[in-house]
Amino acid sequence: MGKYIVKRIAYMFVVLVILSFIMFMIYSLVPSNRAYTDAMADLQAIKGSYTAEQQQERFEELYLQYQRRYGTDVENRVIRYLRWVGLYPLYDGSYNGLLQGNMGYSYQYQRPVLDVVSDPMKVTIRINIFATILALGITIPLGIHCAVKRGSRMDQAMQVGTIIGYSLPTFLISILFIWVFCSKLGWLPPSGMKTPGTNYTGWQYWKDSIYYMTLPLIVMTFCSLGGMTRYVRASMIEALSMDCIKTARAKGLREKVVIYSHAWRNALIPVVTLVVGWFLGIFSGSLVVERMFAINGMGKLMIDSLQTSDYDVVLLMQMFYVGMSLLGNLLIDIIYGLVDPRVRVSK
Amino acid sequence: MSKKQQKSSSSKKGGTMGRWFGRFFYGGGNHLADELEEKDGDRAAAMDVEELVSPGKQILRNFLEKKLAVGALTLLVAMFIVMFIGPLMMPSYSDSYTEVTQQNIPPNMSMMSVPKELKNDIKMIDGFGSFTVGLSNAGKVYVWGPTQIGTTGIDVGQIPQEVQDARIAMVAAGIDHIVAISEEGKVYCWGNKRLGQYGTEAEAMAADGKLNPNIAYMPEILVTEGIDVSNIRKLTCGYQCSAILMNDGTLYLWGNKLTYANINTFLSISNLQDIDFTLNYVLGVNSKRESIYTGTRGLYDVVRENVSGPTTKIKDYLNGRTIESITATSSSACLLLSDGSLAFVGDFALNVKPVPALAEGEKFVQVVGGSYHYTGLTDKGNVYSWGSNVLGQTDVPGKASSGTTKLFSGAFQSYGVDEQNALTAKWGLKGYLFGTETHGADIFQRIINGGKMTMTIGAVAVIISAIIGIMIGCISGYFGGRLDILLMRVAEIFTAIPFLPLAMILSAVMGRMNLTENQRIFIIMCILGVLSWPGLARLVRGQVLVARESEYVVAAKSMGVKEVRIAFKHILPNVMSVILVNLMLSFGTCMLTESTLSYLGFGVQYPRPTWGNMLNSANNATIINTYWWQWLFTAIFLAVTTICINIVGDALRDVMDPKSSVEK
Repeated sequence: MGKYIVKRIAYMFVVLVILSFIMFMIYSLVPSNRAYTDAMADLQAIKGSYTAEQQQERFEELYLQYQRRYGTDVENRVIRYLRWVGLYPLYDGSYNGLLQGNMGYSYQYQRPVLDVVSDPMKVTIRINIFATILALGITIPLGIHCAVKRGSRMDQAMQVGTIIGYSLPTFLISILFIWVFCSKLGWLPPSGMKTPGTNYTGWQYWKDSIYYMTLPLIVMTFCSLGGMTRYVRASMIEALSMDCIKTARAKGLREKVVIYSHAWRNALIPVVTLVVGWFLGIFSGSLVVERMFAINGMGKLMIDSLQTSDYDVVLLMQMFYVGMSLLGNLLIDIIYGLVDPRVRVSK
Repeated sequence: MSKKQQKSSSSKKGGTMGRWFGRFFYGGGNHLADELEEKDGDRAAAMDVEELVSPGKQILRNFLEKKLAVGALTLLVAMFIVMFIGPLMMPSYSDSYTEVTQQNIPPNMSMMSVPKELKNDIKMIDGFGSFTVGLSNAGKVYVWGPTQIGTTGIDVGQIPQEVQDARIAMVAAGIDHIVAISEEGKVYCWGNKRLGQYGTEAEAMAADGKLNPNIAYMPEILVTEGIDVSNIRKLTCGYQCSAILMNDGTLYLWGNKLTYANINTFLSISNLQDIDFTLNYVLGVNSKRESIYTGTRGLYDVVRENVSGPTTKIKDYLNGRTIESITATSSSACLLLSDGSLAFVGDFALNVKPVPALAEGEKFVQVVGGSYHYTGLTDKGNVYSWGSNVLGQTDVPGKASSGTTKLFSGAFQSYGVDEQNALTAKWGLKGYLFGTETHGADIFQRIINGGKMTMTIGAVAVIISAIIGIMIGCISGYFGGRLDILLMRVAEIFTAIPFLPLAMILSAVMGRMNLTENQRIFIIMCILGVLSWPGLARLVRGQVLVARESEYVVAAKSMGVKEVRIAFKHILPNVMSVILVNLMLSFGTCMLTESTLSYLGFGVQYPRPTWGNMLNSANNATIINTYWWQWLFTAIFLAVTTICINIVGDALRDVMDPKSSVEK
């Protein structure tokens, strides 16, 4: 097992490097030149006292200076990539890349990217923990129930209902729910994170933010119901048709024990894949829901940064997403071993 | 697989075709099929050997048993046909069509439905925007069409009580207000007054405490003293302006100054013979009836004989004739000259219908204009329409030319009235089935064209992912070894990339480059395709791995067939059915992804419609509630399509999986 994990981690690292290279190359396709903009801005500030020729001279000087600082003074993209990672020295011989802790600088917010990302991530994590707990708490019992009572009216209704659930895009469900709960019924606020103009603390703050979080939470839960319930149901049905279940029943075990102890343990294996992926989603946030409800989370930051071409932020977030999903794959493999003894034996 | 099918098919004896037809004609009842089998008993015995049903037929038969899936498939096919044939039926459709007077109109078909009480007693009809106002000879005002004004909550259809009580002599409609003058000379206005459509300075002072410099307020005299009805030459309304022209040349003009560039020169003018509003300019006919007065030099100084063709200076063209009346549409005006001929000033779109050539001696006696069309009546009683026909304004019905003595027009409608004041014919825009969107385009047309775009993007993306996925899956599964490991690692890398963020980034990066819209759309298709192949590749690989060990492959190998040929010609067709189901499901997914991307603004951009970006405007609670038609219909189409795809795909997968059918 230990050797296996080490192998997986090594592989994960290689993939991360490859992907970061691909990402960097995609970004370098963007026609933007930070050194040029900064040099221009500096020149504007000191323009008055120079003649045109001097200005030109000064600009060239500044431009070169900035290019050297940002590491864009060479055309070679591979060198630029290595500089970004921090494996190749800048013009002055120093290293200043990811490995040295330089995660980039947000032009939109005029702050280091890490600072920019930290607040939205807190918000996203807070919402997503609730959403995940809710979704799992509903879908797993529901899926098991449908599988056990297969073919019943309830099961058939759920089958149709879940198809509808996972056929609709998230934004459509959001629109529908806003229409029903905000416009028609007027129960919940359509967007925002707190009542505007208020500055509550303590209990009041929580009450207010829960009031605002309810609808996004309902939408997020609802969106995940369809796919997840079907998935749990399918793997549960698969498990219930196993021979061991027949044996367990033949032994005269109580139905509850058969279902929750024998069948569920077997059904858990495919479900784990989904659940792990989901927990990692806690950090990345939902692009659509956050935009729809004006929640300042990771997803909204991503969209905003893309729209304002704040590519340092986007690049880092993308790397973060990739890292998360690779980590997820690793976790899935390890958890597989934990819940399924066979995997452990065969490795 | 074949063993199980044998088992299930041997349980029912009889001719397959017979049972199929039986079911086809008599419905699915089992006893009917059994009866048929009995009748065909002899033949069935003869065909006993041929009981084996091919997998394809078996699948089809099982599929037909699922009523929901068959219904979904029918709906899906219908949807496809509508989306791909529909656009061919809309020759006048254009992506970038906008119409300022038709924005945000709710679904209705009442834009031309003249009320029954008015039909035989028409005094006048006028319209500028979505609604039309009519006046009966009895002095009663009627309003029809969508009368709700945007998000203001104002309904011009609620005619004030005092207007209902009074005997009205004249009415006119603007984009969101109505002006009526009673026979006693009192001027009534209702509708939206936020931008000075009506209301005097004194009223504004009382309400807001200050005056708006961009508003020309309604003259005080109209309210305090009223007006001499018998002396009114013309009452007309523009976008948010109104004008009353008296016989002695006095002009009362009020409204939103920002909508008309030259309104200031008209505020202090007198001695006009006629006046009308285009969308941006006020046009007047000067006192000698020999030129168009706009207050701006050179604007409407040249005329043309028809909607296209060379222009002539107005003085040369008139050559002694005078201008009888002026009728303005959005960007042009038609001059009716004293000898019954016509002249046009202003701009026309390309390819508009020209004025028909009249018979010798026939001449126009009346011309009315809507937003983009004109309708003319000749002295022989013939009616012609010309101008833009985008919304069917110029399709004159045959009965219009019999007995019509007077013409009226709404924004996109024309009405013919006979001697007895009864309606002879009406033609033009009936309404919008699904309403209009923020730019004034018909949502129904955009849904059909957007559906074509959404489905095309989904289909192309799926084809791209199918080509990559099948190739890699086949190669990887059949050849195995190092190649397999390498390819599967590549697939894993692709699955490790979070889909939506990367697609957004790519499309944002594309947006920074200089690409045409078509190139962008193609690249979006490629992005979707390239990012979604790994799942399919894995599926194909798994199937091929199983098939590789089967007898026919061994046989082919021993016969010396080339490996590539075995992989693609022998194995691939056998795993095709599974692939097809998967492709169908991923077609649905691609459509969803495309609409999410477009909805977020990273997919296809505005003038080009897709179901995703048509929902783009529905991003706040007010719009979602007030303009519900702008998202509801599109959402229904999108939802129905994807739901159908998923139902059919699911059913097919169940049907093809022998295990699940045995269990049931």
